[in-house]
Amino acid sequence: MNLKAKLVCMLVLFFSISVMSQDEFVLEGVVTSQSDNQPIPGANVVVVNTTNGTSTDFDGKFSITVSNEDVLEFSSLGYVKQLVIVNGQTSLNVSLEVDASQLDEVVVIGYGTQKKSHLTGSISKVVNEKLDQIAVSRIDDALVGQVSGVNIQATEGEAGSAPTITIRGFGSINGASGPAIVVDGVVVDSDYLGNLDMNDVQSFEILKDAASAAIYGAEGANGVIMITTKEGKEGETRFSYNTYIGFKTARQSDAYKFSMADHARNEAAWNIANGTTGLIDNLSEDTRYKLLIGVDQDWQDIIFDGGTITSHSIAARGGNSKTKYSTSLKYLHDEGVLLTDDFKSYSLKLKLDTQASKKFKVGLSITPSYSLQKRFDGSTHDILRQSPWLPLYHTDHTIQFVDRANFPDVQVGDYAVQTHFNNYALLPGDTNADVDISSTSNTNPGAKVLERDRLYHKYKLLSSVYGKYDFNDNLTLTSRFSASIQKTNQSRWQGLLAHKDAASRAFLRLENQTRTKLINDNYLTYNKEFGKNEVTATAGITLQSLNTKFDRQTGIGYTSDAIQDLSAATSISTWDSYKVERNKIGMFARVNFAHDDKYLATVSLRRDGSSVFGSKTKYGYFPAASIGWNIHKEDFLSNSDVISKLKFRASYGFTGADIFNTSGPLVDNYAYLALLNQVTATVDGTTATGFAAINIANPDLQWERSGEFNPAIEFGLFNNKISGSIDYYKRTSDKLLLDNPISSTTGFTSALVNRGEVVNSGWEFELRTKNVSNENFSWSSTFIGSLNENELTSFADSNGQIQSVDSKRASEWINLEGNPISSFYGWVVDRDIPLENLNDPFRLAGLEAQDVYVKDLNGDGLIDDEDKTILGDPYPEFVWSVTNQFKLGNIDASFMFQGSHGAEVRNMGDQYLFNQFNSGADFNTTSTPDQQFIKAKIFTDDIIQDASYVALRNVNIGYTFSDDLISKLNVSKLRIYFSGQNLMYLTADNYTGLNPESINNTSPTTYGYQRAGSPVFSTVSFGLNLDF
Amino acid sequence: MKKINILILGFMTLFVMSCGDEFLSPLPESSIVTDTYFSTDAELEAGIIAIYDAIQGQNSTSTTASRGVINEYYVTEMRSDNTQTKSSEGEAAEFESYTITANNGIIADYYRSFYKVIFRANTVLESLDVATDANRTAYEAEAKFTRAYAYFNLVRLYGDIPLVSSTISPADTDIQYTRVATTQVYDLIVSDLETAIAGLTLTNRNRGSKAAAQGLLAKVHLTLGNYTQAQVLCESIISSGNFDLAADFTELFYTEANAETIFSIGYTTGLTADSQFFSAEWMNAVGRTSGVNYVTQDAVDVLEALGGSRVVESYRIDPFQTQFFQVIKYLPNGEDGGANGKTFVQDAALSGNDWIVLRFADVLLMHVEAIMGGSGSTSNSNAIASFKRVRDRAGLPTPAVITSQELLDERRVELAFENQRFFDLVRFGQAQSVLSTFASANGLSFSSSDLLLPIPQYEINLSNGLLTQNPIN
Repeated sequence: MNLKAKLVCMLVLFFSISVMSQDEFVLEGVVTSQSDNQPIPGANVVVVNTTNGTSTDFDGKFSITVSNEDVLEFSSLGYVKQLVIVNGQTSLNVSLEVDASQLDEVVVIGYGTQKKSHLTGSISKVVNEKLDQIAVSRIDDALVGQVSGVNIQATEGEAGSAPTITIRGFGSINGASGPAIVVDGVVVDSDYLGNLDMNDVQSFEILKDAASAAIYGAEGANGVIMITTKEGKEGETRFSYNTYIGFKTARQSDAYKFSMADHARNEAAWNIANGTTGLIDNLSEDTRYKLLIGVDQDWQDIIFDGGTITSHSIAARGGNSKTKYSTSLKYLHDEGVLLTDDFKSYSLKLKLDTQASKKFKVGLSITPSYSLQKRFDGSTHDILRQSPWLPLYHTDHTIQFVDRANFPDVQVGDYAVQTHFNNYALLPGDTNADVDISSTSNTNPGAKVLERDRLYHKYKLLSSVYGKYDFNDNLTLTSRFSASIQKTNQSRWQGLLAHKDAASRAFLRLENQTRTKLINDNYLTYNKEFGKNEVTATAGITLQSLNTKFDRQTGIGYTSDAIQDLSAATSISTWDSYKVERNKIGMFARVNFAHDDKYLATVSLRRDGSSVFGSKTKYGYFPAASIGWNIHKEDFLSNSDVISKLKFRASYGFTGADIFNTSGPLVDNYAYLALLNQVTATVDGTTATGFAAINIANPDLQWERSGEFNPAIEFGLFNNKISGSIDYYKRTSDKLLLDNPISSTTGFTSALVNRGEVVNSGWEFELRTKNVSNENFSWSSTFIGSLNENELTSFADSNGQIQSVDSKRASEWINLEGNPISSFYGWVVDRDIPLENLNDPFRLAGLEAQDVYVKDLNGDGLIDDEDKTILGDPYPEFVWSVTNQFKLGNIDASFMFQGSHGAEVRNMGDQYLFNQFNSGADFNTTSTPDQQFIKAKIFTDDIIQDASYVALRNVNIGYTFSDDLISKLNVSKLRIYFSGQNLMYLTADNYTGLNPESINNTSPTTYGYQRAGSPVFSTVSFGLNLDF
Repeated sequence: MKKINILILGFMTLFVMSCGDEFLSPLPESSIVTDTYFSTDAELEAGIIAIYDAIQGQNSTSTTASRGVINEYYVTEMRSDNTQTKSSEGEAAEFESYTITANNGIIADYYRSFYKVIFRANTVLESLDVATDANRTAYEAEAKFTRAYAYFNLVRLYGDIPLVSSTISPADTDIQYTRVATTQVYDLIVSDLETAIAGLTLTNRNRGSKAAAQGLLAKVHLTLGNYTQAQVLCESIISSGNFDLAADFTELFYTEANAETIFSIGYTTGLTADSQFFSAEWMNAVGRTSGVNYVTQDAVDVLEALGGSRVVESYRIDPFQTQFFQVIKYLPNGEDGGANGKTFVQDAALSGNDWIVLRFADVLLMHVEAIMGGSGSTSNSNAIASFKRVRDRAGLPTPAVITSQELLDERRVELAFENQRFFDLVRFGQAQSVLSTFASANGLSFSSSDLLLPIPQYEINLSNGLLTQNPIN
């Protein structure tokens, strides 16, 4: 076109615009899918040959200013484009036909994407539809029950604390058991899950089998969770504001409610029944005195104070045909249900992509975030076992009982301490003041928590830039640099009133950690179709460098709470620091092949070099291969009315791990070297510095390795009204990095070796049904189920080791080959000791003996170690969820039930709260028969409890305001909803604790130790989604 | 463009190929790699300090920590008639009831702690060739002094033990699990201490000195019945004039730079890395236990009868629970805990009291023991003179003839709660009779197998049957 012609065209265009503008009007309508009549959100509506365009909202609605002659083009990924002439219509409903050729959803895989129908591995995709409406403080908390094979357990339960995530079971002893986290292609620490904004997440892709994860080699041993964040879309800038407020309430344990009233009633009944004489009101002096104090409180009410959770997220997204952007801002505040826990999180995100030239695309993403977590710095068991007669603070009433001889200065409003109530003259005129009711000299249990302050300030900056160059239609080079910088400042203050020993125990500990991770990925992608064959090949290099710096100081000798800073300390008792570096080079290649969309195959190889290992073993090779067959594309099925999809796939692959947690960061990062650390000794009053060896070097140490076989069937029936999949997997993790015990005569007690093997095997089911689907009402259901079995098949010199968590309360675990990694170990309860043989059956807990008859399993007439056996294990066997989604007119609703079965916990809460640890026998040693068969309950299965549960995990009921209203408000979408979590939560009959998911000690070899912990809580929340 | 990109890729690949190994082998900045260390005198000296760090032990709650000498009272004093737990709780109570199981964590802790001392000493001994001629002898002497000290404790507690005289690897299972006869262990101890006496020049109380080595060797010889050698060694210390008795126990235990202490393990108040927590444990639930190393009624009776002025400086009634008795020789940082005995200004669990291993009064009494030479009594004037110095300080008269029983009793009250009693009973051949009587008086039973600690089950399990256990009943 020459210049003249262009000019003419422009003039014509100019005039036509000015003419058209005369009779513009607004056209509104809905875009739906022809196949199921469901609205299509995000469909593009463009006036052909203009820049005038919009896209449909969540409910498929659009409105656009047009004029009579305009031609509108409706398009959406996966549908055939449709052209409609306006021709005077002011409302227009368009039904798009599914594009068979584009039907395929695209799934993000490592270093690339793939059509879902071409997948040969086990990759689950979860699209964020309503996940951002679940009122939880972390994005991983919202994933519970969403994917088969993925178990997310709220082991800590405090606001903002990370859950324990396992994909297809625990595969490592000393290594990480959690999956790798990849955000928009960048491998990040799992801690990022606490800072990301769910509102900003587009989808999760979870690489479950080793063949899929093998492209990540050393990162992939425990699966990979890939997070794709939202991108801007072409069209006007769309703002969306999402908010909710939720109210959290703890689920209390009835078994852990103690009351003075009950105690007095039991005691009186017992004394009457036994004809005890010489008592007033049939009660002991102690009990009468405790009743007189007039306090009868459930400590659960004090420390489980409930809380609110609020979230605000605002985003602006938009762009033109070349540049797209997305920016968002989040604030979340979760008060937690415990007395002092609290979590605030702020984040900001900018994502920008631009087509710089026809062949070159660049983009950047930058996500600064900050979170502040205040922890409940105490242990709930320690507080819940306190006496109900003890008030938190002294009142005008309780102050009159204070033992003034010993506590002259106690005032109303001070923390009440048990010993304050000693030496009380119970009878009027009784000069022999002698009622001592304190059972502990500890400070008030509430003070222990309220006078401590444990904060985690986390500053994170995740940023990346990429460039993508298309050499031609087939070959693309992608290069990405990313930096993630994380700084954690932790402070732990113990105030003067927090400890019975007061000021001498006050301290401030400051810990600072900075992690800087730099990654450079470069890879080529080649994609070409040869007739019916489609080949996608990827090859590249990744360089990673992680630097960690840490320092810690503890200040002691505080004389007041006024200045909680190191400057106010009298001395520094601890200071240490370290700096470690860990580098990795990965080279990878993968070929995906599809013939006629029917026959599929993928092979990949990754070679990883790690700085953790010595020169002989630095490099590990992780190959994988998988095949698939889309049977429904075969002639004999292509016309079936019943079977709309049938696919068989199978994969086998290897992943590795070089991250382990054994003898501290130095050894764990430089295990092949013999290391010396600084030590000190006091010589005649001065500190002398020495150097001592800290490890036995193992230059042959190498990668942990997991090999996994995963066959599966995917199916769809009746035009995919019923669809689902069944996966079987068997993952063998060997060459485990064990800190193997060695004779202490060597000067060490362990040395790192590659020994040990764990096998995880199981089944996964997913079933999705579209029960009803029409214009006014739709109902769909999803069932997800996972079965897992964990077996320790080799444990080197540790096989059969018996471990305990606490030497004073030494209940035992065994790590025995042929069983799961950890099993509870001990004696089996035979029967209770008869009440009449107990010395004091009405101690506080009432009717709970410390001891119990156990079974003589080998029948040799005595109870010894030979009678101990495996009592259960802490790993769930079956985890499931059922979700139902409804839509009726403007109302939408979803319900998710979720459950876990087969796991047990060692509920030490019982042991503490029911006072089962007094060392002396609590039975009458002369009258009690068969005493040789009596053992303390702590060593038996008495406190091994079923940790199964069934919960109404999520409920979401929303109402979307109709067009009339929202157009008046000048917004494009307005929806309000009610959401609830754990509105129902059922536990097993014999479970007495607060939360079957809670686990105190997450060490893999003593897993399942519960000590009251944080309670299950339910959340009721109200939210608003607004787009404009 | 295409060419440029291929060039870039090619360059990247070259970079990875060429710089890869360097990129993948960063050296730690917060640690030292052994091959590059121990090459100068200063570094060897640092290796020697590390030995004392191991003796000092870790002030830690970890189940795998090595608490060194901090936990020694469990395996010595609490197995004697001197002390017990307050509440008979847990594995701590196994010592007083003579029911120590091979799984007891404290015996494993002591075993690994002192083999760690031996390992660190061996590390220094193996690097001696890098020392300058001027210092090599002194370094060797000091390392051997500490190694002998560790073996002397281990051999008396566990009997026949593995003899590790050089650093070994995990593969050297023969050495790790072969129990060598005590005579062989003593051969190494005597030879190490003789080297130490010849080479030690230091005068620090917290490090090995010539007098410390002489005193230790004197005790070794007394244990072996070599009375003449022991007498010569004690006299050498006495006549050196470098040591004298402190005025009283207050000075001895609370003024650490005193004339009486010959060898003690140094601690510093308030430093997690260099403090001890036994002082806190001995109080009423101030430490991690509810109270251990509480004084038995038997010890109270003997102290009251024979202690003289030492009584009020040795034990007290627990102010918080007046039916119990506490040791007051190592009150946390010298603080008495106020009216309830539990209130301290400085954190008691970070105490800085040095632990006295050898003091002049012990040498004086060993001198008497050496002269007595296994007979039932002595009236030797040199023996009487040494005995008198100890008795005088306690404000007690000195008899003209000292019987073996009087000497044993004197050692009990003078060195009460200093981890000497159990070894004294064994050395005097009285352990079986005295502890049997004591045990049955308390409803317990003591048998000859209780004279030795079990070998830790941890070691037995690892040895695949190579390592034999002491008799347990």
